[in-house]
Amino acid sequence: MPKSVYITAPRPTSEEVAKSLGISKRRQREINAMAEELIRQLRAKERAAESTAVEPEKRRKRASAA
Amino acid sequence: MPPLPDPNGVFLNIPYDVEFSGLYIAYIVGLFQLDLVPHIASEIPGGKRRLDRIFELIQSCRYSIHDLSRVEVSVSPTAVPRFNMPLELGMTITWANLHPKSHIWSVWESEPYRLQRSASDLNGTDPYIHSGTAEGVLSELRNAFRRDRAPSVPQMLTVYGLVNSAVNSFFVRNGTRNPYSGGVFRDLCWLSQSLGNFYPPAKPTT
Repeated sequence: MPKSVYITAPRPTSEEVAKSLGISKRRQREINAMAEELIRQLRAKERAAESTAVEPEKRRKRASAA
Repeated sequence: MPPLPDPNGVFLNIPYDVEFSGLYIAYIVGLFQLDLVPHIASEIPGGKRRLDRIFELIQSCRYSIHDLSRVEVSVSPTAVPRFNMPLELGMTITWANLHPKSHIWSVWESEPYRLQRSASDLNGTDPYIHSGTAEGVLSELRNAFRRDRAPSVPQMLTVYGLVNSAVNSFFVRNGTRNPYSGGVFRDLCWLSQSLGNFYPPAKPTT
């Protein structure tokens, strides 16, 4: 087994990461907007998957109640 | 005294080829998910000798990953072995031996026991084995770099899928199909960093 490292250094702030990468503020804003949109789409997919998984259960309950 | 390295900086010594791009993106995503910051040689502007730039990067990072999974003979008509990754690993080992408190390096491979055949001088060094898959890279990153409240591999894979879906737009914006170009690398990094603020949701913010 290779040795693993336990990281105790504080997590870098967004500002530190931006400085380290040398990325412009404008580009940061553009990509942040893209990230928000990707997350919104992901959540929508997750909700849709949940509802399709729940739907057969609801139908079964309705049928048994009737 | 050597310069103080970035305590979260990771120098990525990887092959810059199309076949490797999926694993390259997995390294970027996985490192950001663990709140580490990857660096590659092509992100530094030109002007200096390439080897000097690489050595400066190695010195500036606390950690380095040396992926030797594609150290093989190239497919071009004049088949030559690829020496860049072993060369940079050699430079790093020397640096780390001179300054053991400044740098920690690790070797990564796709197949177990191949390293013993390709670089027997490294016997005694256990490589991380990623099996040539993004999931393997993410899983081994989690083993190599342990952090409190690290996301799970499925969570990391979700972010990997999101970043992968944006690669083409980064190509268009940067006017290149090269994922290793400085502009595309920065975009991939910032998207990985930005997504890390939203997903997984339980991750603490800094």
